[in-house]
Amino acid sequence: MLENIEICDTSFDPAVKLEAFTKANSEAGAITSFLGQVRNEADSVSELYLESYPGVTEKGILGAVEKAKSRWPLTGVMVIHRTGAMGVGEPIVLVATAAKHRRSAFESCDYLMDYLKTEAVFWKRQKTANGTRWIEPRSEDYKDNDRWR
Amino acid sequence: MIKILYFGRLRENTGRREETLALPEGITSILTLKLWLDSEHYLDGALQDPSVKTMVNQTLVHNDMALSGDEEIGFLPPVGGG
Repeated sequence: MLENIEICDTSFDPAVKLEAFTKANSEAGAITSFLGQVRNEADSVSELYLESYPGVTEKGILGAVEKAKSRWPLTGVMVIHRTGAMGVGEPIVLVATAAKHRRSAFESCDYLMDYLKTEAVFWKRQKTANGTRWIEPRSEDYKDNDRWR
Repeated sequence: MIKILYFGRLRENTGRREETLALPEGITSILTLKLWLDSEHYLDGALQDPSVKTMVNQTLVHNDMALSGDEEIGFLPPVGGG
């Protein structure tokens, strides 16, 4: 089982990370990945700032990965998450899961993203033309996460 | 010495990411520490907000947790997700 959890405060190249993950999981028949990036919308967010609690954030993500492993037969999991200031178009999060068959890869990737959007220990501040504000998960995010209970 | 970490909006409220200090006299629990810090940093009760969670040595604790004076204490407003 290959696991790679990284919290990084500088930009990363999702293509490079995914290529390495794919190579390391050559025995998997299915790899699902999800990339979250800072949206480019008119009059919307110009900068996103994310803060973690080093140690605690990683431990929480590791716990979610353990749950995913007990639920689906996975051969590999990768979670790369940015902290610090990010501009429009920059990657925020990359999750990839590898399994023998596609259903496990799809579902476990979805599950990990729902954890990351609602329970992961990150604080998120967005900057718009109207100033900055700290944001919390939307009710849809909590509903999505409840699907796995 | 205790090391106190502030996250998210609490970092902006206090104007600091962390501080290290000797446990002030008479401060023996998380609750009394919160009250003392609130007044010390003019936080207008921000630490008393029930949505703020407290971690001692990276484990979630309640207000009645006793302090010995050599802990890492984190004050966590609601998480925003990734």
